Parts: sequence; structure tokens; C-alpha cells
Amino acid sequence: MSFFGFDTTLSRDRAAHAPHPRQAPGFSQQRDAFAGLSGNSNEKANDDDGYDFEDTYDGLGEQLDEGDDEFNDETFGGGSSAAPGKDFDFFGSTAKVANAINEEQLLYARGPKKPTQAAPPSYNQDRQPKASSYAAATKPKPQPVPKHQVPTEIPELKPEMSLWATTSPEATPAKNLSAHAAVHYLHIENQLQDPPPPQPNFSQPAPTTRKYKSLEEVEAEILAKKQAKLAAAQQPPPSQPQPQLPPPNQLNQQDGWPGRPVQGFPQHPQLQMQPPLQQLELPYPPRGMPPPQQNQRPPQNDRTPEHLQRGPIPQPGPGGQLPFPQMPANPQFQGNNMPFPMGIIPPQGPQGPQPPFVGIPPMQPQIMQMTEEERIKFLEEESKRLKRNHKIAQLSRYNGLMTPWDKNFITRIQLQQLVSVNEDSFNEDFYYQVYMAIRARNNPQQPLNQFAQTYLGQQGARGGRARRQDNHLLRMQQQVQRAVAAAKARPKASQIVLEGSLGKISFGNVKTPKPLLSIKKQDTSGVTESGQKPTHAFAGIDRRSILAAAEDIYRCLLDLDSHERKHPGPSLTGQQPDSNTIQWFEARDALIAKLWRSMRIMEPIKEEPNALHPFIAILSVKKAKEAIPRVFRYIDLQQRITILTMITISLDQVDVIKDGRYPAETLSLSNETKKKIEGFSQYVLPPLLSYVGDAQLDVITGLLGILLDRVNVLLLSQTQIGLAFLTMFTSRAEIIKQAGQADDQGVLKWTQTYDRLFEILEDHLLDIFPPHGAQVDDMYVWQFLASMAVGANMSQQQKMVSAVKDRVNENVQASKTLPQEMGQHKLANTNLFLRALGLDIDLLLS
Amino acid sequence: MLFFSFFKTLVDHEVTIELKNDLSIRGTLKSVDQFLNIKLDEIQVVDEVKYPHLSAVKNVFIRGSVVRYVHLPANAVDTALLEDATRKEAAAQANKSK
Repeated sequence: MSFFGFDTTLSRDRAAHAPHPRQAPGFSQQRDAFAGLSGNSNEKANDDDGYDFEDTYDGLGEQLDEGDDEFNDETFGGGSSAAPGKDFDFFGSTAKVANAINEEQLLYARGPKKPTQAAPPSYNQDRQPKASSYAAATKPKPQPVPKHQVPTEIPELKPEMSLWATTSPEATPAKNLSAHAAVHYLHIENQLQDPPPPQPNFSQPAPTTRKYKSLEEVEAEILAKKQAKLAAAQQPPPSQPQPQLPPPNQLNQQDGWPGRPVQGFPQHPQLQMQPPLQQLELPYPPRGMPPPQQNQRPPQNDRTPEHLQRGPIPQPGPGGQLPFPQMPANPQFQGNNMPFPMGIIPPQGPQGPQPPFVGIPPMQPQIMQMTEEERIKFLEEESKRLKRNHKIAQLSRYNGLMTPWDKNFITRIQLQQLVSVNEDSFNEDFYYQVYMAIRARNNPQQPLNQFAQTYLGQQGARGGRARRQDNHLLRMQQQVQRAVAAAKARPKASQIVLEGSLGKISFGNVKTPKPLLSIKKQDTSGVTESGQKPTHAFAGIDRRSILAAAEDIYRCLLDLDSHERKHPGPSLTGQQPDSNTIQWFEARDALIAKLWRSMRIMEPIKEEPNALHPFIAILSVKKAKEAIPRVFRYIDLQQRITILTMITISLDQVDVIKDGRYPAETLSLSNETKKKIEGFSQYVLPPLLSYVGDAQLDVITGLLGILLDRVNVLLLSQTQIGLAFLTMFTSRAEIIKQAGQADDQGVLKWTQTYDRLFEILEDHLLDIFPPHGAQVDDMYVWQFLASMAVGANMSQQQKMVSAVKDRVNENVQASKTLPQEMGQHKLANTNLFLRALGLDIDLLLS
Repeated sequence: MLFFSFFKTLVDHEVTIELKNDLSIRGTLKSVDQFLNIKLDEIQVVDEVKYPHLSAVKNVFIRGSVVRYVHLPANAVDTALLEDATRKEAAAQANKSK
């Protein structure tokens, strides 16, 4: 260090420090983190004397040779002529000596003016190995000068376990003594003199100027306490602690650290080791300290439970995160646990008390220290846990019984079940689904919810289940649905050709059996064309094409039905229908148009006498008749009136009329015709009747007019269906007339048409009856007569009465001979007509 | 799937199963699967004198492939619906073969 051969450090320190009083604020306060109290006190003593330049100056400056500068170039490099240059690396150069600078700064900051010769050799010897052990890394060259030894330890203020642990208990007393001798601290002396001065439990900021203790002092205090404590350990602890408050100045000097309120641990006065512990722990801001009153308890009572308490608590934070208030209150007991109390306590300060874990069962102490309420809660939780464990154990008894294969098998079955309820259900499971739906609808006792579930699928049985379950099922079904759809989308070859083989291997499954014959369809386009363009394909009215046409109607109907099931839901009135709804209605209209075309009703009526209109031809088959009510559900009013008109003007061609007359000399119609008539009146008439029931008078008049114009009404009147049509028109007209819903002109037109009808029929009224002896119900005849009679004028009524008078009498006579039930029926039929005339059968009977 | 669908609606109805070995069994249909395997409960063999060994049997599971006829309760069959279902099935078959 001394470049020029003299001790620069010493001189500079002196030069710099001599005039400056150590006490002056603002000079060294900041850096003086652990200003030695001993140094301080020494310095104070020196300061009183004052520094004299002459005393301190060693006169070395006078030995300098001011000449002989010629070798400076050699020494410092570079010629004197060379400019210093602008690229001087200040930082780099500084960095090289940074260590030295720092060191010197520290020395400068805390270096006493004079070497502490007062320190006894024992102190130095004691400090020396310690300093080298942990400060050697940062301090490369500790100078053997005694005054430098003290500061060297300061930069590294880390507690090292090894360091503290190696401190032998034997060494500490000596050190303590020596350290104590070095410092002149009043309170330490006090403590040594009278061993049990109570430690303050409350904090008080220290107003002194000197606020930080040096490490040596801290150690010294610890050692002092330890000694005291060792002494105290020999004595029995006093049963009644006597906390005494020391004088304030003592407090300040002892504990007061600036800006750091010292929270006193609750202490027992007889234990003097407390203060150093406190101070070491204090760098961590104390939290949750217990109230000071806690420590008033006698230590004997506390000791045993607190030892136990500490067992199960894992790693409580420093100074008071512990759940139980008494826990942090007694660090001294922890100290008692340690084999080397003094050696171990300091590092524990920062880390917090370590739980010893010495052979204490974990549960017991917890229960012991719990309050009654906590204990109950704890026991409850414990029993719950045990129960759960028991349950798990029971369940796991059967673990591994099912192999993965078994599980897969079950899963497959379940998925199959799901698939059968999926979207295809209305195609593949149509009968079951619709049948159940119909049955549910016909069974009013069944709750609606059940109905909906039956309608939706097979889950009808699980009515009570929560909605969530259904959602899961639904989602699962959708997934399965997607999977199935994907599998179906994959092209499935029904046969494979192995490479190099001469034949094909064909295979099948349940749904598509293995084709034994593979026959190509010759012409599929012709068949579909007949469906699409019925005009040309329907040239000949053979039974086959009629049936095919009827099937066409059904196909359209089924499409419409399944489309109806996809109804997006009722749209609220006043709301704009969304795109889905619009699309749905468009598709529906298209389907209805297709259905309308399939009925071939708009084909032109041919003028040839025997030409049968396609629609009428189709209507001749029973299944077509059965389709009419279903068709009427979809078509609009205009289309309904078209159908009605079509049937009306072709009535004489309809098979039930054509074949409906009783052939001469026979008393009954053929069975086939009977069935047809029955089918017609069962399927075709009701929808027509319901339409006519809402029709206006002019429509009725027009229809009847067409009928009279184009159809042989006499022939018509001799058939059941023909009479039913006539009855339908006349009764509806009468109802409109009597309700006053028609204007005079309409009524007049109707009366004219009615008159025409009556004229045609008046001479053949007896012919409308089925032949004598025919075992049929002639109610329809009486109904017709009644409807005619209602609309007839007086003369017409008279004509009617005279025409059917014989028949009425006949019925009355026959009713007397027939069994009562049949007789009553005959009389009731007859009475329909008589009532219409304003008469009653009772008049005839009496 | 039409027959499967159809027989499902007959569950809990009394049917008579005629097997290919001329054995006729009358009982309550409990379940049916896609192979038309049939489970019957409270069975009674029609010609009990001929098959006395079956008089103690209360329920049976019949493999679908051994069934010759199933006698149906007429009032449990909706013929119009069955026609429609048949049409649907035919249409589906036609679509598949295309």
C-alpha cells in the first residue's frame, strides 16, 4: 500500500480525521452502521483533548525529495511531453482498486484517531481467528495493526452457523470479560452487578445520538448475558417474578435502536439472556407480539405445556405468526431445550424458533391446546375423514374385478343404447317412436312430462331424474350421433378384391346382408321420371300406375310429416321469424307443392266421355282415400275447394257412385263396393264436410249448379254417397239461410238452384231408397229428405209428403214388428224427415 | 330395424311365439333386441301335454333365429302407422341401395 515507502494510510487517516469531530452530524453518520461503541467512547475521550497537528504529524513530508523528478516518466509511464489523452479509463482503473478503496473508506469511516491500545491482548487473540474465518474473503490483507482489526469484521455481517457453533462455551466467558472490559457501558455493568434487573417489555425509541451497536458489542452483550444466565441456572428460579422497570436512560442505552421500536418479548426477570436475543431478532419487524401481561405468569407453570406446544407447530415465522399467543412469548424456554444455548440461539433469531420435534405424537398436543369448540370441530373433521377413508376402502375391495375388455363391452352396449335413440330414430325406429307418441297422446292420464320423454325417446322411465342428467345424456347422444354419422359417411365396400386373387370376397352385416346375387338395376331413371313427370307416365289407367301414384302421395306426406317434426318452434307473435323459421317454411311450401302435384288434381279434364281424371282414378284405391284427410291438413283453402270441385264435377265417375247403385233384382251391393263406400264416407267425406261447413252460400250454390249441369243427378240420388253430397249442400245452404248470413241475391240464386234440383228429383223420390228388403240402414235417405224438406216451400213439401207417405207408413208398421231396438231406430230415422216438416212420428203412432 | 321397432311396441303384451321346431310358447313379451331375440315371462307352452318338461319353466329367452312366427295381439297393432313405417323403411332401403 505504501508506494513511497511510508505508511500512507495512517497519515491520511490522521490528516483527515484530526480536525473533524466524530460527533458532528452528517459526516459519518450514514456509513457508520456499526460504529463501535468502544471506539466511540475512546474517541470521545480523545476528542476532549483535541488534536494537535504537531502531535500527529510525523514529519515524513519533509523527507520528500522535491527534486529528482526525472524518473517520474519511468515510474508512471509515458513521456512528459505526451498529452494525457482523452480516452482515459476512469472506471476501469478505479475498478482495479475498488476493493482497496472500499476498504479504506470503511476504515476511514470508523477508524479511530488512535489505535485502540486499550484493547487487551486477549481480546485481539480472541477476535483474530474469527475475523479470518469469515472476513478473509473480502479482506485480503488484514494489517496487523490492532486498530484495523476491529473494522475488518464489519463489512460481512452475516451470521454463520458454523462460526457460532464452533464457539466453545469455555471461550465465551473470557471473551465476554474482555469485550466487557473494552467497552464502557453502564448498563452492562449494572447487569453484571445485580443479576436480575427486569428487561423492559415495551419499546421506546432511543433519543441518544449513538444508535447502532457494533457487532462486537452485541456479542459482548450476549456473552455477558450468557454468563449471567449460567450463573442463574445454578440458582432455582424465583417463583414470583418481580418485573422492575429500569431507569429510562438505561433503557435507552440498552435497547433503544432508532426508528425500530423494540418490542420486548415477554420475559422473566431472572433470565438475563433475553436482551441479545431480542436484538438479534429485531431486524425482522416484529409482528403479532403478545401483550406484555402474558409474561406475568409464573414460569414453572408455563414450562411444560409450552414445550409440548412447540412440537407440532411447523416453522413458525419469526416473532409471532404462531397461532397461539403464548407460543412466541418464551424464547428462553427454547433456549433451555438446546444443548448449547448460546451457540445456537443467535442464528435462530432471524429464522424463527425451530420446532424440535422431539418424540411427541402429533395429534395429542393439538387437542390438548385446543379450546373446547375447536376440539369438537377437529374431532368432527377427523371422523369425517375416517368415514371417507372407510368408504373408499370398501369400494376399492372390488377394484380390478372387471378387465378392460369387460369395460369396453359394457361401454359398447351403452353406446348402442344411445345410438338407438339418436336422430335416426324417426327413420329407423319410426313405428316405435310414433306409436308411443300416439299412445301417449291418447292416454290423458299420462303426465305431460312423461309424454314428452316418451316422445323424445326411451327415457320415459326415468322421470324423476334431474335435468342435468338429461343434459349429459343429450350431449353424449350428440357425440355418438356425430360418431355414427362419420362412420356412415365413410364409404363402405361390400366386397373386396384381394390382390392377386381371382375372385371377390363379399361380406355383410346385420343391416346390409351379404348379397348373394348382384344384379344391376337396368333403368332406375325411368321409374323416378314417372314420379316426377306424372303427366306423361299416367297415360294408361292401369292399377299398377294408380297404386304407384298413390304411393307418391304418401311419400310426399311422410316427407312433410318428418319436416313438420323439425319445426323450429312456435315463433312469438310480433317477432320477426328468424332465418331458420323462414327456411323451414320455404321448405314446407315446396313440399306441399310437391304433394299437390303428386295428387295430379290440376291436370286438365278430358272431354271424352269415358276419360277418367287421374285424381279420381287415384281416389278409387283405398289407400288414396285414406290419404285425403292427411292431405287436407297441409293444403290451403283454395286447394281444398279445388279438390271438392273436382270430386263434385266428377261424381258420376267416382267408383263409389258408379258402382253404388243397386243393380236391378239385387238386394245388396258387392262387398268390395260396400267397403269402398265405407272407406269413402269414412275418409273422404269428413274433410269435405268440414270444408263445406265453413263455405259461403255462393260457393254452395255454384257447386250444386255445376253438379246439376254436368252430372246425372238421378243416378247420383240413387247412391249413398251421391245423396250424402246432396244432403251436404242443401243442409249447409239452409243453415246459412236461417242464420241470415247471406244477402237476398245469394238466397234467390240458391232458391233457383234448389228448385232445379227438386224438379229433377220430385218424380223419383221413391227411387232414392234402397230396394225393399235390403238389409241396410236407410238413415242417409231420411237425412236427405229432411234437408230437402227444410228448404222446400209449401207445395214442394206437400209433394214430398205425398211421395214418401207410403214409405213412412211402412216404416211405422215395420217398427212395430221388428225388435224394439231396431224399431226405434227406424222410427227415429223417419222422424228426421217428419220433424223437418214440422210433424212428429208420435202423431202417426197415436 | 322395422321389426325391432315394431316388436318394441309389443312389450308387456301377450304374444305367442311359434318356433321352428313346432313348439309354441305363449307369454308376456318382456324385451326384444335388434336380433329379434325375445324374452318371455310367465310362459305357457300351447301343447303342454306334448312338452311336459316345459311345464315348470316360467320364463325363457328365445334366440331370434329360431322363431318362425310371432302371433300378435291385433288390437296392439296400428296398421296405418305400420304402413307408413314400411314406406319409410322401403324408402330408406331405396336410398341405401342407390
